[in-house]
Amino acid sequence: MAEADKDLLICRCEEVTQGEIEAAIREGARSVNEVKRWTRAGMGLCQGKTCRRLVERIVAQETGQKPEEIQPSTHRPPTRPIELEVLATLGED
Amino acid sequence: MSPDVVVIGGGIVGTSCAFFLSGAGLKVLLLERGALASGTSSACQNGVAHVDDGIGRLLTMASTRLWKTIAPQLPVDPELDGTGHLFLAITEQRMQELQRTARLLDDAGMPCDMLDAQEVREREPHVSPAVLGGLFFPEDGKLQPIQATFGFAKAAQVRGAELRTGTQATGIEVGPAGDVLAVRTGNERIPTGAVVDAAGVWSGSIARMVGLDVPLIPRKGHIVVTEQLPHMLDATLLEVTAFEPVSEDATGLVLGMCVAQTRSGNVLIGTSRQVVGFDCSVDGNVVRQMTERCLRFVPELRYVHAIRSYAGLRPQTPDYMPIIDAPEQVKGFFIAAGHGGEGITMAPITGKLISQMVTGQPTDLPLRDLALSRFTTVPQA
Repeated sequence: MAEADKDLLICRCEEVTQGEIEAAIREGARSVNEVKRWTRAGMGLCQGKTCRRLVERIVAQETGQKPEEIQPSTHRPPTRPIELEVLATLGED
Repeated sequence: MSPDVVVIGGGIVGTSCAFFLSGAGLKVLLLERGALASGTSSACQNGVAHVDDGIGRLLTMASTRLWKTIAPQLPVDPELDGTGHLFLAITEQRMQELQRTARLLDDAGMPCDMLDAQEVREREPHVSPAVLGGLFFPEDGKLQPIQATFGFAKAAQVRGAELRTGTQATGIEVGPAGDVLAVRTGNERIPTGAVVDAAGVWSGSIARMVGLDVPLIPRKGHIVVTEQLPHMLDATLLEVTAFEPVSEDATGLVLGMCVAQTRSGNVLIGTSRQVVGFDCSVDGNVVRQMTERCLRFVPELRYVHAIRSYAGLRPQTPDYMPIIDAPEQVKGFFIAAGHGGEGITMAPITGKLISQMVTGQPTDLPLRDLALSRFTTVPQA
């Protein structure tokens, strides 16, 4: 990895750098979910919409797995941020 | 060199066992079939909470104290905050119940303070004006369960423990004398004299390998996570404990408000319990009811965004208390399972008790009420 890439922001919501993600992989993380638990990458407002693919690529590169072998991260509802007031009345008549 | 003890399960309870066992000088191998904190420990609330009475009170009081001494030593910060738990009353009847509880617990020596409406809002300005008062438990707190698990795991590694993730225990070999001889992981045989079953909601399948029946069911609990907010809530706010449902329907769905802000600023909203097997899918109806409940107590959260919801499985025994035991049927087999919604709170005392049992030391607490046999022994007439 080029020295300059270390400070590259991969997850902008949680401000997680490429260097921090690579460190988590050195700690044993082998999937996007594990990287998330170690670094919070993908835990922010956009829930990984921006960084998920980038994290997958870094995991693939650093662990020598093929990108299609990387376990995809879990997607959880709601798929985009929703006001609690709206969430509290969803499905009601 | 073969391990002195094999811990099965890499959640907060298993890693705590590994931490204490390696601290006692034993050679520890921890097996986790997935990743660390990939089950219930990453799908739960964040409370370090008391239980009102019985062995639960002894366990939680001892464990909360242990958390305070251990947290600063862990190489990953578990973000422990002793911010207390505040039970809120929105009806006169509930207020009277809280006052009764306060008197009982006061007599039992558990620190708690009854607050009137004004005192509640002085402490938590964002609580609804409709709240009549509350019961505050200053010893309770919260932490970040995933980081706490990583903290135990890394500290155990530093003490010489070996952690193998992605490795499933497939069998346990018991000799003719009824003692543990080895653990199998597929084709590999790992000789050892002791096994700790800390597989959480999946503990039953491990215990069955040695012919024991652990009466434990998964109870599903939902959480909604909000976007990060500036600091607005100090204490964890609750209306009831998981044992006193606000409402209960035919599917066994129980709901109650539980709201806590994490150090990152996200607000975690719970809580629900449902017995629906191992299904972890998010139920929109439960999420809606939980959110509605929460807004009654903290209306300012109305315009805040939910970014994520998830559900996890709490390992529940018939009397809601964990099994921390060395059943006499199998020498060298130890159980640390069935913590329900209190695994985060009780992890340290569980690890410590297991370590004392494995090394043959006197235990910090009496183990009678935590024995597996309490579910099988016919009570004397």
